[in-house]
Amino acid sequence: MTESSKKNVDSCRFCWMCRHICPIGKATGQERNNARARALGLSLVNRNALGLAEVIDNLYECACCGACTKECVTGWDPMLFTRQARLDAAMEGVLPEYIGRLVDNCLETGNAYGITEPEDFVQMEIQKHEKQEEILLFLGVDARYRAPLAAVNAIRVLETAKVSFTVLEKEPASGWQLEYLVSAVKETKEQMTACAKELNRFQRVVVFDPQDARICKREYPEWGVELTAEVVTFTAFVAKLLKTGALCPQNRNLTAVYQDPFQLARELDETQPAREVISAYAARREMLCHGKDTMWAGNLLMREWMPEVMLLVAADRIEQAERAGADAIVTASVSEYASLKAVKQDKIRILSLEELILGE
Amino acid sequence: MQTNEFLQAMILTELEDAVGAENCSANPIDRVTHSVDYYWLSRMWADRGRRMPEADIVVSPKDAQETAKVLKIANYYKIPVTCWGGGGGTQGGAIPVCGGIVLDTKRMDRIYEVNTESMYIECGTGAIYKHIEWAANEVGMATMHYPSSLNCSTVGGFLAHRGIGVVSTKYGKIDDMVLQMEVVLPNGDIIHTSPAPKHAAGPDLNQIFIGSEGTLGIITKAQMRIFAQPEERRFRGFLFQDMHAAFTASRELLQKFKPSVMRLYDPAETATLIKKIVGVEKPGAFMNVAYEGCREMVEVEERILLDTFHKYGAEDLGSEYGEKWWEEKITFFYPGHMMDLPQMFGTMDTIAPYGKIEEIYDAMKDAVETNFPQARFIAHFSHWYEWGAMVYDRFIVEEEHVPKDPVEALRLHQQIWTAGVRAAIAHGGVVNDHHGVGIKLGRLMKEQYGPAMQVFEGLKRQLDPNGIMNPFKLGL
Repeated sequence: MTESSKKNVDSCRFCWMCRHICPIGKATGQERNNARARALGLSLVNRNALGLAEVIDNLYECACCGACTKECVTGWDPMLFTRQARLDAAMEGVLPEYIGRLVDNCLETGNAYGITEPEDFVQMEIQKHEKQEEILLFLGVDARYRAPLAAVNAIRVLETAKVSFTVLEKEPASGWQLEYLVSAVKETKEQMTACAKELNRFQRVVVFDPQDARICKREYPEWGVELTAEVVTFTAFVAKLLKTGALCPQNRNLTAVYQDPFQLARELDETQPAREVISAYAARREMLCHGKDTMWAGNLLMREWMPEVMLLVAADRIEQAERAGADAIVTASVSEYASLKAVKQDKIRILSLEELILGE
Repeated sequence: MQTNEFLQAMILTELEDAVGAENCSANPIDRVTHSVDYYWLSRMWADRGRRMPEADIVVSPKDAQETAKVLKIANYYKIPVTCWGGGGGTQGGAIPVCGGIVLDTKRMDRIYEVNTESMYIECGTGAIYKHIEWAANEVGMATMHYPSSLNCSTVGGFLAHRGIGVVSTKYGKIDDMVLQMEVVLPNGDIIHTSPAPKHAAGPDLNQIFIGSEGTLGIITKAQMRIFAQPEERRFRGFLFQDMHAAFTASRELLQKFKPSVMRLYDPAETATLIKKIVGVEKPGAFMNVAYEGCREMVEVEERILLDTFHKYGAEDLGSEYGEKWWEEKITFFYPGHMMDLPQMFGTMDTIAPYGKIEEIYDAMKDAVETNFPQARFIAHFSHWYEWGAMVYDRFIVEEEHVPKDPVEALRLHQQIWTAGVRAAIAHGGVVNDHHGVGIKLGRLMKEQYGPAMQVFEGLKRQLDPNGIMNPFKLGL
């Protein structure tokens, strides 16, 4: 573990001041689900009082959503040591079996789910946009393989706005899954570099999934991966289509709250475009934790090894939306949409931004 | 009773049946994270690479019914049960010193009702107080319970050790903020305290369990008061050159009205913590006062405050420092802003009537500084009543004077605590004001209460005949 990570570990090991904003800790009520528990465990590992293998599962109970890092007034960063410890575990060969399997999938198929082809109906929509255009719509692995309707809806929104764009039949992995699972290994950078090479064939890349947007816009420069194409988030692109009149909003008779994806709000400083879009179609309210203070609502990758917890996390967010007096939650993240949708409830509608626009 | 691997496995399956397998763990990470709280000794022990005493099993019931099942199992097998809320306590009250079961309350976090007619929130006691505050804020109200640990501690944690927040002078302590409670007794019976907190139906059941630190039962649900947000909240900073004048001025002020915040820092703390966080450079004793409510009342209160404090020679520093302090009121608690390892430190808060409080402050300062020249002593007075005030004394020993051997460090820590708190008791103070007793101060409870201790002991014997509930805490 680096000195910087050790310093962060020792600063966080006895401090719970970010407990209230940890979405997983709040949902599960388990003491181990907060930054302090991970730090305390790792501090004992660093002092040879505990083995890394004894805390490794706990390290994969963290979404790395950055709420704790944002909350810390001193500036300590629990994500730093969580990622570092995952890397150490990968290097020491003590990754849990369920993570090792997902890593292998990433390396073999480009996605943690180990799927090689999208479903036929998605493939058909993709093939309609094979032609090389200036704009690339980058769908991402979650939309292509786990939430195919979202992929189709994203394509339809751009079609509705009469945008000429390409969708790659074989889309490279952006590297976000590998980066999340094992952090900065050689293979992660290789994925990033290969992806950037493909993206650079276009003038502009509209990135549908905030998880990909974060990695392309924030991590590629950090890792020294050259990206010459202009990368735009799907939300920002759609907001612009509205402004230019390419999309004509209709009142959907809804009171909606926006589920800020942390990747956009906290890491890319983007909170307004989606709100502008929602306001054009619905009355908009705010949940208590919104914008940069957003509380994560679950994702598809972690559903692979902790599906019950993802349901609890999403249910917690639904409760917060209800308390805000909303009758719909609008999401801009494929993953959060799928998580929220998985909760069995009939009190509040879960809509993707695309569904709001398309009226579906 | 001697346990063994077979019996432990049997008990684990019974507990899993009671709360669900996913809420029952014997994994190292769960045991370790429930073994170190905010107590300096537990932190020091872990810092030196030692494992604190750990529970054998950690269970997280979701309500009183599941809690009752756990306690029945524990009673049958005579297994110790230590209750854990947020773990932010400083007295070692949540440490499972005898192993057994740690019962974590945080799954009992449901907000059952936000009642703006009778002004309370009914919630599970595992709820983080900040979340209760959010729920109050959503309906335009506030809990007015703002301790430094607001973000991380639970409703039950504050109740268990009689906590207090920074606006207590106006709104009261946690024990003033409860209407009704649900409690699971050690035998698994679920009881409710009186439907209203003020009555003539015998002794106050609420106050028997508040402050009992999990030794008499487990509080599982509570109705906590909420308040209208003040129309206006104003701050005023003052500098006194004489602590006695500050006390006299404050006592006189409290006969006229109740500010929300009153914090008087002694010259040593003004020159260190207050200078660092708030930026007060001048020597003296800094005092921050906040007053709030209807605008018209606040205007009148401000006039009374300025007149009263002027009479006792206080220098008016305006509102800037007070506002800065309010903004930073929780910042003090983040790592890097206050004492931390490798320093040794402790907060020996006590409370007494005005006639004794200055003497207690002097006696505690003398007891620490004379007997332990390696220790610095700082203090502030932050919770005030018409009849007296609380003194928040702290000692700090710098790294070079802290023994390297953890047992020796433990010994020095205990000696300083004993000397400081004994001085408080000898001069009419109480063992503790708002952090509780835990394992840290249990031995001194008997010194304070003498034969009165038999009342607590009698309750303990009657309610917990097998002695399973949080053993060796509270001196019981």
